[in-house]
Amino acid sequence: MATVLSGNSAAAWGFRLSRVQCYPYYPITPSTACSEQIARWVSDGALETVTINAESEHSAASQIIAAGKSVRAGTATSSKGLLYMIEVMENASGGSIPCGFFIGNRATGAPINIWADNSDAYAMRDSGAIQIFTADAQEALDGVIQGYRIAEDLRVRIPFAVNLRGFTGTHAYEGVEIPKPEDVDRFLPGYISTMPLFAPAKPVTYGAMLSALPYRRHKRNQMAALKNAVEVTQEVGREFGERFGRSYGLFDWIGDQKAKLVVALLGESAGAGEVVVRHLQGKQGLPGVALLKIRLFSPFPASEISQALAAAGTKAVVVLDEGLNHGGVFPPLAQRIATAVQLHLGSHAPKVASVIGGLGGSEVRQEHFQLMFNLADNIAEGKPLRAEPYWLDIDEDPIFVENEQQVNPKLWKKWGEVWKQQKRKEKYFSALPQETDEVRIYSRAGQGAITSAVGFTGAGILTGSRLLTVPAFGSERRGAIITTDTLVHGGGGQKIRSFNRTWDVMVLYDDTILYSPEHQALDGLKESGTLLINSSRLTVKKLREQLGAGKANVRIFTVPAAEIAERLGLKHINMAMLGALHRVYEKIPLEKALPYYERHVPKPRELSLEAIRLGYAECTDQGAKKRVKEVRLPVTAEFLAWRPEDHSQIAWPSETEEIRAG
Amino acid sequence: MATIEERVLDSKNRHMEFVATGRLVTARPREATGETEDRGSKIEDRAELCAPEILAIDEVAGQVIDGIDSKAILSRMADIGPEARLFLHRPQGKVLRAEVYEDPRICPEINRGAVIENLKEKPKDVSGWRTHDFIIDTKGCLGDECGRCSVMCPENAIHLMGKGKGSFHEIDPLACKGCYICWVECYRTAADCILVDGKTFDAAMRAKHFGE
Repeated sequence: MATVLSGNSAAAWGFRLSRVQCYPYYPITPSTACSEQIARWVSDGALETVTINAESEHSAASQIIAAGKSVRAGTATSSKGLLYMIEVMENASGGSIPCGFFIGNRATGAPINIWADNSDAYAMRDSGAIQIFTADAQEALDGVIQGYRIAEDLRVRIPFAVNLRGFTGTHAYEGVEIPKPEDVDRFLPGYISTMPLFAPAKPVTYGAMLSALPYRRHKRNQMAALKNAVEVTQEVGREFGERFGRSYGLFDWIGDQKAKLVVALLGESAGAGEVVVRHLQGKQGLPGVALLKIRLFSPFPASEISQALAAAGTKAVVVLDEGLNHGGVFPPLAQRIATAVQLHLGSHAPKVASVIGGLGGSEVRQEHFQLMFNLADNIAEGKPLRAEPYWLDIDEDPIFVENEQQVNPKLWKKWGEVWKQQKRKEKYFSALPQETDEVRIYSRAGQGAITSAVGFTGAGILTGSRLLTVPAFGSERRGAIITTDTLVHGGGGQKIRSFNRTWDVMVLYDDTILYSPEHQALDGLKESGTLLINSSRLTVKKLREQLGAGKANVRIFTVPAAEIAERLGLKHINMAMLGALHRVYEKIPLEKALPYYERHVPKPRELSLEAIRLGYAECTDQGAKKRVKEVRLPVTAEFLAWRPEDHSQIAWPSETEEIRAG
Repeated sequence: MATIEERVLDSKNRHMEFVATGRLVTARPREATGETEDRGSKIEDRAELCAPEILAIDEVAGQVIDGIDSKAILSRMADIGPEARLFLHRPQGKVLRAEVYEDPRICPEINRGAVIENLKEKPKDVSGWRTHDFIIDTKGCLGDECGRCSVMCPENAIHLMGKGKGSFHEIDPLACKGCYICWVECYRTAADCILVDGKTFDAAMRAKHFGE
């Protein structure tokens, strides 16, 4: 059965199931939770691992290398932390030490930015490690286990890094199958170092100085071993599929087998692309389309990717890079693909265009893929293309020009002729089907919205639907307005990881959010949508006024969640809101969800369950019956002393309990 | 006078234990227990401290290895060719892992990870680095009563010869680079002990090294 895990927790499970023996770490957003989870397991006694609180990432990387000479070692990092590790990273790859890194990909400043892109992974691409890109929590968990198997293969013996996009990957909660430890033990036997550092009978020296002759010969060997990782990754991915039912390869080809137009990319942003490919695939008057989701970035499977493109007869490849190659001709992925097809296919190579997008947490949305397939179509037809990367969402430098005035004049002088011939084709922009229900929670930081949304996700998965919860993260303080988004779609079928950002249900944990000038909380709510507000004072009439014209069909519900919490003596309103959410979103009925809540709600369990039931019962579409005295939860000393650590202990789900129960 | 209770503090130190008497803490040698000795004797038997062997096909064919199917392994190695290797981990002679693989190295004389096996390293003749010859006079050397020069020698070129009375130190002429460290460190200030180019004491040279 699937357990609800965030990407970070899933990676931690990967390390746990791999029986990692040493885990030095220095936490950095967005991969902190992975290290926290491991540290918590170690302190609970659930995991026998030596954890070291390093004084910097540089030390953590040095420690993992020292440990990796004798035992299985791992760590997690991101962004600048990874950049700080790169200095010692080559000692791991050059020293042939197969340790593991989990990387929550994040931008590298300046300007400082905590959100996702691949800049950090691109910065480490020349440090000789195996780089695997994963697209969701499940792939991250499987990726860490497979990473050790690949890295420790005697033909390879090179460190590996598993990459997952920050926040939309590392902080997204979804159902993850946790393999049985005994199955993983059979798949991944214990690590035996070929040259243990402390074998008394065979003393060795690591990191000796070598002069030019042995140095270059050593580097030749290192390159040969890294190259072997391509073949080994395929073998390991296949065997993983035979044992666990989820096969992995070097890349995923999603869409038409004979796709003329291909969009290539790394990692999590493929979610939005899959929706577009399914929509455009097999449409009248459109050439075949496919998404090339590359899993193994280093060593780059140049020959295999070129063969796949040649076999499909692809005419144009648009490569999306979520990072830059400053001063380079193309960004890293585009550069690798362009050289690969040139070397392997020569004059039969498809044309390659480069697009830069998704930087610093920019979302790569469905319409961006429509744009990129349109661009691929144009260049397949022989229209001229820019000999430098295109950019997504830069108004002064668009891919297609609708209004010449908006374009930067310098750029127009340079690329005007190309722009004039690049035409937007409406057939690529037909409305996408809405296959999912989307719930957005607006709350104030500290009200427990994420906790309740994660619980809702777990209950939904239990009832057979697929759910994904992505909280928004930023520099908010306690009390700031935040959003938590949940995506629901029917069980089976496709895995959808992309929000179309029209909300079926909008939940407001605090009615004052309606009046925040910075937040147009009701924008994006569907005309047939539902609005649920925690309020003891607002009338339906007043709320209708707030909604404005064109939203006459919106169903409005209110629930006095603060009153319920006060009555029960609870500190948070989130459980009452959770009950009310089940009332307004009938596709996941409360009676089916209750067995999950009975096992998993935060303590005190009985009160939390009662709050869920009361929230469900007192949720009404009549508005507040009468204006009542404003309810404020008392600000006690206990409330003020509350710290996130306390919250994490009652956080949901409790993975340790999950495994004990199982 | 009331006696103050003694309390042994919790410590991981294997040699000393710490006793608190009121606010005074004293250290005393820990009473020898069998446990530490056992640990000492077992250390070489621990599986993770036993280096695996990596054998080529002729090395596998040339010996009897208990616990593996040699025939099947040899035929798998023959299929791979001359690059085939057997990874054999057998602490205390018991095979825990036997894995056939193809050696990825292009240049086979360099170890993976450029790791150097210390015992395989042959001493190099560095006598050409020297501009003066260093010899220990057996008459002046205190032998095993001293040994400071052999501890200080950065090249491990000084060895104790003999035992007890009549023992002396000797400088390996192939390993000595002529760095003067033994000469500077000698407890007898090399007065009649270390000869540099046959001289026992040279005021000018000492002044140069000690700033006298």
